[in-house]
Amino acid sequence: MIFTKKTDSAVTASKRTARLSFLKEQSVKTIFFFTALFAVIVVSFILLFLLRDSYPIFAQVGLPNFLLGPDWAPTAMVPLYGIFPLIVGTLLVTIGAMVFAVPLSIGCAIYLSELASPRTKKILKPAVELLAGIPSVVYGFFGLIVLTNFIRVSFDIPTGETWLAASLLLGVMALPTIISVSEDAISSVPHEYKEGSLAIGATRWQTISRVLVPAALSGIAAAVILGIGRVVGETMAVLMVAGNAAIIPDPIWNILSPLRTLTATLGIEMGEVSVGSEHYSALFGIAVVLLVITLIINLSAVAILRHLNEARAKGPARKPLVSSATKESLSRFAEVIGIALFLIFLLAAAPWWLVALALLIIGAWYFGRDRLSQKHIQTIAFGLVGLATVIVLAILVIILQDIVINGLPAISWEFLTQPPKDLGRAGGIFPAIVGTLYLVMGAIAIALPLGVGAAVYLVEYTREGRITRIIRTGVDLLNGTPSIVFGLFGFAFIVLYLNVGVSLLAGQITLALMVLPTVIRTTEESLKNIPQSLREGSLALGATQWQTISRVVIPPAVPGILTGAILSIGRAAGETAPIMFTAVIFSSRFLPDSVFQPVMALPYHLFILATNVPGSSTNKYGTALVLLLLVIGFYSVAIFLRTHFQNKIRG
Amino acid sequence: MSDAAIITTNNVNLWYNEKQALQSVSIKIPKNRVTSLIGPSGCGKSTLLRCFNRLNDLIDHVKITGEITLDDENIHAPSTDVVTLRKKVGMVFQKPNPFPKTIYENVAYGPRVHGVRDKAELDKIVEQSLRHAAIWDEVKERLNDSALGLSGGQQQRLCIARTLAVEPEVILMDEPCSSLDPIATAKIENLIERLKEDYTVIIVTHNMQQAARVSDYTGFMYLGKLIECGKTGQIFEHPKEELTENYITGRFG
Ligand SMILES: Nc1ncnc2c1ncn2[C@@H]1O[C@H](COP(=O)(O)OP(=O)(O)OP(=O)(O)O)[C@@H](O)[C@H]1O
Ligand SMILES: [Mg+2]
Repeated sequence: MIFTKKTDSAVTASKRTARLSFLKEQSVKTIFFFTALFAVIVVSFILLFLLRDSYPIFAQVGLPNFLLGPDWAPTAMVPLYGIFPLIVGTLLVTIGAMVFAVPLSIGCAIYLSELASPRTKKILKPAVELLAGIPSVVYGFFGLIVLTNFIRVSFDIPTGETWLAASLLLGVMALPTIISVSEDAISSVPHEYKEGSLAIGATRWQTISRVLVPAALSGIAAAVILGIGRVVGETMAVLMVAGNAAIIPDPIWNILSPLRTLTATLGIEMGEVSVGSEHYSALFGIAVVLLVITLIINLSAVAILRHLNEARAKGPARKPLVSSATKESLSRFAEVIGIALFLIFLLAAAPWWLVALALLIIGAWYFGRDRLSQKHIQTIAFGLVGLATVIVLAILVIILQDIVINGLPAISWEFLTQPPKDLGRAGGIFPAIVGTLYLVMGAIAIALPLGVGAAVYLVEYTREGRITRIIRTGVDLLNGTPSIVFGLFGFAFIVLYLNVGVSLLAGQITLALMVLPTVIRTTEESLKNIPQSLREGSLALGATQWQTISRVVIPPAVPGILTGAILSIGRAAGETAPIMFTAVIFSSRFLPDSVFQPVMALPYHLFILATNVPGSSTNKYGTALVLLLLVIGFYSVAIFLRTHFQNKIRG
Repeated sequence: MSDAAIITTNNVNLWYNEKQALQSVSIKIPKNRVTSLIGPSGCGKSTLLRCFNRLNDLIDHVKITGEITLDDENIHAPSTDVVTLRKKVGMVFQKPNPFPKTIYENVAYGPRVHGVRDKAELDKIVEQSLRHAAIWDEVKERLNDSALGLSGGQQQRLCIARTLAVEPEVILMDEPCSSLDPIATAKIENLIERLKEDYTVIIVTHNMQQAARVSDYTGFMYLGKLIECGKTGQIFEHPKEELTENYITGRFG
């Protein structure tokens, strides 16, 4: 009797715990679901608020007039809101940047994936990542001081702030993206193709150019599209070097003409416009156009890459996308277009001897290439590929050495610990350093839980299906949103609508939204790297799902998650556009008392010093150096953590 | 061996890092004959095969000593061009590895990289090679389809055609049938039979019957050494070494 009684109570007790733990599991799952949904919510809010604030201008001038109107003169007596020149400006800067960046990147990617020894690779890859880590305002600063000056002198024109300067600078900024994604694509071409080609007696260059690169072509295309996305969405750098006249170059290929992009317009005018005015609404209209363009660009790149991964997982596709004949004529077409563009650029700007030299080389190539032996062609090709790599490295070295050499004299204890004086010409940057640290710490404190939660939901709680697809698209959209659009959204929603005011908090939230996709992605990746057998082992012991996740899955993923978090901090620390209208003031002697006060921040301080405060040369460079070191410091820690962690996994 | 040798190795040793994979291998490969290499897994068959076209060059930290000659020329001599060597010594891999191109482009790839531009000539080479590889009738209607759409056996014959299109002297085959069904295997075996009229074939196989069926000569390898090599009939019926006999009769511990 007693015996059975005991069993009965034990049964009810275990029933109760079972129900409790079921409830707990459900609520944990629900929480994760909402963190995952957050990205989608943010994207919809961004769209909603941009549309809400831009509606008046569309209603007033109409979409066609807005898009195709030839004049942008919002402050004229009779204001004109035509953004056609801005769209053309964005397009031209992008084309120019790609003409410069694509050959260099592909050359460098080929070198990295096929020619570099493992040791060289170990040095080169972090160098490329370093290039990605330089904040855009530092690029802009370098462009403004060095590049535009160089262009002004070499072409003997009154100002170097031109389309050429913008394209060169943005091209450099797009390099790391294009290089790393294409290197990845070339490296993941199956080894068998390479062996098959070499075994037939093809040279290494023939193997690269006829088998490896064609097989990696869609990955390379995605890389270029991502690079384009980066260029189109860039604000600070282009604003600082493009000259910003809202005109269409005359003639259209005049690369020495100034021009103005969509993003630069937002960066310049958003700070001065009165809220709710027509002009204000027009700026939001620009943001909508910009958002649509970048979203299309990024989603297509993502679609290509995803298709590629699926194809890789499922085995080879049945039919080639385009027939080889079409491919051949396409590549010939591209070749001609490329050369034509190049010539136009040369004719427009270069001195005559350079034109002659280029013509000579092209001519020699066309007539000589049938006569050269494969050996010679290989030597020439490897030479060019090596040259591309050297140029990329040289760019990095030039930028770093300029900032380090000119910045070091400014660095002193006072500089790091004193508030600025005389509009930043004297004194230090202490409040800016602290402000930046406050901003990024707050941002990561917000983004980390949300991002990790979303990733856990995506990897652990769902199968791939409609919901994950929606969430992933949300994350991709967020990832492709230009930082200046975050700035506008932060201003419209957090500062004004939620009435938080221009404040530390508003900046932290805006930055958090911006880095959220990075956190989600890196966490997802490290969770996916945890072997399935670990989960099964834990579940087979009767552990609940949450127990399994929290005790078995997450602990080994922590280094990966941390890497993502630190990368995000680095990125947030260097951003100017998102905080420009939401969080910062230029010069302040004091640190904020609460999160509701505005702060100083390094990137913004540098931006104002560089563009608005003449005669602050030493302090400019000092600020740039400190910012650079801060951001690169975060990046290096992240890169170190990642390699260390990878080596450990490989054992 | 009575037939004239096309490839000769003399005391070849090979190390991957510190690990020795070939130990003083000396073998003569007779011209216009099929030679098979047999032996347990990991004994160095593939490694030896890949020495003949210097494909081991692709792997880091490989060290080779000894001499390998093709037509009495040292293939490691500074004057030997590895590209020319590989043109003369073609290879068919264990897993069919057609390029992600059309069937036509796969076969035309070799002639193209060796400088054939003329469309009519390419067409001719492609057709001949595909006929020779006994796959022409199956693909002639769809030369412009992706090669990746073919079945495994078809892909392997395509890879053979691709090799033939370069007109090598020697064809290396590393377990060419291991991923194929019996019907496809039979087709490839017939093909090998016909190939020896024009080519020298060296084939690595785990399938003893296959070695007995297709090859004129057989070499048995064990732990990186060439234990014994001779006429296939002799190796299978009167092996000189006990190791060989044990392996062939399946009494292997
Ligand atoms: N790339 C490499 N790096 C290091 N060791 C290698 C490499 N390739 C082969 N080996 C080693 O060399 C030895 C011989 O390998 P090989 O592939 O030649 O054997 P095999 O006879 O072809 O075996 P199987 O019948 O399984 O194909 C093996 O012990 C193998 O582990
Ligand atoms: Mg093998």
